[in-house]
Amino acid sequence: MAKVYTGRDGRLLIDGTEQIKVSTWTLTGNLEVLETTTLGESQRSYTPGVQEFNGSATLLYYKDDAGRNDAATALKKVLRVDGVSSTDTATLRLRLVDGDTNSDVELTAYITSVSFGASVGEVSSAQITFQATGALTAVTI
Amino acid sequence: MAFPSYAPTSRSFGAGDYAYKAFQSQSGKEVRILYGDKRTGMTLDLSYDNIPDTQADDFVAHYDEVKGGFTSFTLPAAFRTGWSGNTAAIDAATGNQWRYSEPPAITSVRPGISSVTVRLVGVL
Repeated sequence: MAKVYTGRDGRLLIDGTEQIKVSTWTLTGNLEVLETTTLGESQRSYTPGVQEFNGSATLLYYKDDAGRNDAATALKKVLRVDGVSSTDTATLRLRLVDGDTNSDVELTAYITSVSFGASVGEVSSAQITFQATGALTAVTI
Repeated sequence: MAFPSYAPTSRSFGAGDYAYKAFQSQSGKEVRILYGDKRTGMTLDLSYDNIPDTQADDFVAHYDEVKGGFTSFTLPAAFRTGWSGNTAAIDAATGNQWRYSEPPAITSVRPGISSVTVRLVGVL
């Protein structure tokens, strides 16, 4: 059946836990290309180089009845007193839902920046950006 | 094996010079004596960027074959790829051959892909 995906279909899972109150997520994949043009050629040619994946997400700074605050958990990936170590990666699964069918991209990433604040008349939210390390671990889109 | 026959991605040629010596008197007058009628000392820098490792190792194999900078050799026409002028103008001049002035330098770019730089000098 035809399907137009919207923000209502979006989900974000961090370390296997579906995040509550996510308002946006984006994922960008880049492929570096290496030029292989030689003298005598009139058109540039390339060979694939390394790939990278990064993106961002916005989570409402929201605490549910059980005290769970996903935005705070994400913020604490960077806002911490003991520094970040090489093991402080997160498994992110970016998902679009169509009934029982999920379109997923999963990656292991470092949270590379976080920001949040409070403004009069606005809901507080946390913006995070992430940088994938290594290959994507699942792609089912 | 002959020098690898691949088209370079960049090429830099220096024309060298003739063998002469300049003598300067106390008055400042200078006399130059020409010792040879053949130009020599041409320089040729070739770069092969982002080529497969299997091609990059051909340069080392050739370097071994000619015993490094010990033996001189000629170059295949591929090194002139893209040059539309007189073919002899950027080759070793009459009587000259090429010799390695430095060992080939291989820079690994990514798995399976490398860049090679070769520096040659023309010798009689």
